[in-house]
Amino acid sequence: MNNYKKTIGIEVHCELKTATKMFSDSLNSYDGKENSHINAIDLAYPGTLPLINFGAVHVALKAALLLNCDINKEMVFDRKNYFYPDLPKGYQITQARKPIGTNGYVMINVDGEEKKVRIHDIHIEEDTAKSIHSGEKSYLDFNRSGVPLIEIVTEPDMHTEEEAMAYLHKLRELFIYADISDCKMEEGSMRCDVNVSVSKDDTLGVRTETKNIGSISSVGRAIKAESKRQIEVLENGESIREETRRFDEKDEVTILMRVKETGNDYRYFPEPNIPTIYLDDEDVEAARKDIPKMPDELRSEYQNLGVNENNIKTLIGNRELCNFFEKVKQSDPVITSNLLTGDILSYLNKNNLTLKDIKLTVDHIIDLVSKLKTNELSSKQVKNLLPVLMEKGGNVKTWMDTMGMVQINDESALKAMIEQVLKENKESVTDYKNGHDRALKYLMGQIMKVSKGQANPATVNRLLVDTLEHFDLNK
Amino acid sequence: MNNYLDLSINELHELLVSGEIKPKDLVLEAFERIENNKDLNAFITLDKEGAIKRAKELENMDKSSILYGIPIAIKDNITTKGLRTTCASHMLENFIPVYDATVIEKVNESGMIIVGKTNMDEFAMGSTSQTSYFGAPKNPWDKTRISGGSSGGSASCVAARLTPIALGSDTGGSIRQPASYCGLVGMKPTYGRISRHGLIAFASSLDQIGPMTRNVYENALVLNTLVGYDKRDITSAKRETEDFTRLIGTDIKGMKIAVPNYFMSDIVDEEIKTNVNNVISLLKKHGAKVDFIDIAHLEHAVTLYQIIAMGEASSNLARFDGIRYGYSADAKNIDDLYEQSRALGFGREVKRRIMVGSYLLSGDNANVYYTKALEIRAAMKKSFDEAFKNYDLIIGPTTTTTAYHLGEGMDDPRKTFLDDVLVIPVNMAGLPGMNIPIGFNKSHMPIGMHIIGNKFEEAKMYALGAFIEKELQLNLEVGEHHE
Repeated sequence: MNNYKKTIGIEVHCELKTATKMFSDSLNSYDGKENSHINAIDLAYPGTLPLINFGAVHVALKAALLLNCDINKEMVFDRKNYFYPDLPKGYQITQARKPIGTNGYVMINVDGEEKKVRIHDIHIEEDTAKSIHSGEKSYLDFNRSGVPLIEIVTEPDMHTEEEAMAYLHKLRELFIYADISDCKMEEGSMRCDVNVSVSKDDTLGVRTETKNIGSISSVGRAIKAESKRQIEVLENGESIREETRRFDEKDEVTILMRVKETGNDYRYFPEPNIPTIYLDDEDVEAARKDIPKMPDELRSEYQNLGVNENNIKTLIGNRELCNFFEKVKQSDPVITSNLLTGDILSYLNKNNLTLKDIKLTVDHIIDLVSKLKTNELSSKQVKNLLPVLMEKGGNVKTWMDTMGMVQINDESALKAMIEQVLKENKESVTDYKNGHDRALKYLMGQIMKVSKGQANPATVNRLLVDTLEHFDLNK
Repeated sequence: MNNYLDLSINELHELLVSGEIKPKDLVLEAFERIENNKDLNAFITLDKEGAIKRAKELENMDKSSILYGIPIAIKDNITTKGLRTTCASHMLENFIPVYDATVIEKVNESGMIIVGKTNMDEFAMGSTSQTSYFGAPKNPWDKTRISGGSSGGSASCVAARLTPIALGSDTGGSIRQPASYCGLVGMKPTYGRISRHGLIAFASSLDQIGPMTRNVYENALVLNTLVGYDKRDITSAKRETEDFTRLIGTDIKGMKIAVPNYFMSDIVDEEIKTNVNNVISLLKKHGAKVDFIDIAHLEHAVTLYQIIAMGEASSNLARFDGIRYGYSADAKNIDDLYEQSRALGFGREVKRRIMVGSYLLSGDNANVYYTKALEIRAAMKKSFDEAFKNYDLIIGPTTTTTAYHLGEGMDDPRKTFLDDVLVIPVNMAGLPGMNIPIGFNKSHMPIGMHIIGNKFEEAKMYALGAFIEKELQLNLEVGEHHE
């Protein structure tokens, strides 16, 4: 049973992040009621013709470049004909003859090993409307009708669940970073069909397609379930049919939807309403320039800056936070990454907010860091200031005054405080003298407490060590 | 009753500008004529109330447009906001468009008044207008005969002088052939000249809207108002504005004209060839150079048309599924809804073409037929391009016969396609083509000549057409039509 080799190919559909739809100028948005972002084109009213959203073409170009594809600058569209209530024209406009990108690849990393997954092609098409079934009735929401999609088709280059999942994680990371798609599988802005076959030798087995899997981890489980099923069928001496299946999350099995007959007859032909569109080098360059730094590049850069691995992971996993970090990191990568992934992120998570919703600015962070470095602020004070800045904004200095955050740098005042604390904590002083370093930390804390957090910690530290050296326990 | 509508547009314009007549007078006269000629069955939907309202509004508006106040009829496959648009089909019998086609906006901007929607073949599929769900329109020259198709209603309307102007659409001769049968000037402009936004598609790579008028000059006037790039139709052409009447009256001396041999072969009636030959002699007499040439693949035109037009049509008509608009059958489930709505909503010819088109695009057939047809289409276009390197214009007969009797040819669906063998190549090549009347046969049915221009050279075609028109001085008044 173990000598079967799995072969996996994946087709991913991603909705593009654009202002308007692919072939009409109604909004590409899911805000508002059902059927609120529609026009005569989206409903395929008689006499309507497709427009071209060049913004969507730009985004698709970015995707094709990110996946290292050859770009087809001669852009043509085709019609894929079939009847379905969510397809108002009775055909989908797609790119069958000349996908915008071909012959690409993406590098994935599984267990520390780099592997290349080849991309057969990436093409532009339009989404369908959404069917909503309720009891006996079915309803159609055309807000999604005509939303720009790209479909990314791999070669059958993956052989394990882990590779398939790594590919999807990588695709998702790239597309989110380059602002191509928000890739939310649970909301359907990224959808995934998996082709699986098994074979004992180098020839490819008969493959099945498992459609519309709900999450990346489900893809792994679906592949496991489907390959297991195929092996059982083969071991029983039966053969695999070309089928379309779906994954049942609850029972961890794939279920037959339909047997593929001689290949679906979509009656493809060139879309006569869209003339050949010639992209030029400038279009391609504009897309290339619009691709920001990608996660792999960021990761090694952050490592070099001394940011710890946990922080790197958190930053790269959160596009918005990472963008913010890019703007503040020059002030101090370690401190700013700690602030962002620590207090700030937990405040956001706790209140279910994003950076857009709060009043904290890049300037605030830069200001805080510089005051930390000059000891105008202690880290405790920064901790207290952050919630106020996030909630209310305003000026750091003003808040410091309002909140009575004056740093005590006067050494004689600090010395008096230290003397007092040491007198009240003679046991700790003894501990320190006996070599217990923990005692120093405790004493520091006590002094900070007495100063209401206003003592300059670095000065206190220096003075404390000095005072301890000469402290007379019998005094 | 007044007979203002027999006057030329220039004459009407003077009367309208001077205030001697008002737009409403012309509207009322048009409806009187329509009423008296109901038996022509030229219209599917009339809009008397809307037209009168519009005429009154126009009274206080700028009168400078040459087409101000002129009644016009619109083929019923062009969408008119709030005015029923049926495509002569049961499928759209009660369909009220939510928007105006771009040409309708332009018609309105120029001050013309829409009186109604004209009869046609169902979804423009036919050459006789007999596939109309509303019954065939009749030829005003002989009401036992067809007015041609698919723009048969528009042709009947203008030939009977119910309105001076009508719009038609032409996918494989549907403006020029009925214009020929009814003794009119009908122009199918260059593909892309006029926006197709709002033209209910039959075959998108061939469809083009165009004017049908009583004479060449007025046709050019109407074309002036209809053309232009439209961002809602990305196949429409960006061109400098031009006046299509500008070459009318210029000398034809030295003009180089080609006649494809195939157009004068034995597929064409002798009487028609005689008339065309007479015009050729006339042109030579006035210093034009006329040569007979060969254009490749003309004999394949009908086959190409059947493959390309039906393939596209099978896809274009898929949207009529009974869900969002149009005829919707009572059904048990979704498959039943599709099957019943389309079985009952479409007529025989439309269903035949959808089936043939679907077959032609299925599986390997797409390569065997459709791709091959596109190759031959490109070769034919190239052959035309070659010809236009040496010649200004191409001429020949528009049709192989004159208008035949209603009911004839209906038993053989292939026959009517052959009527269009001379006009289809122009759509295939995306060129402009125009019919002008050049005489009558012994039954006094009109005979037409086809003038084909190079891309965007409509002005040259109008120049030649106007010259021939002036020389021939035909009487194109049907006569007793509005008594």
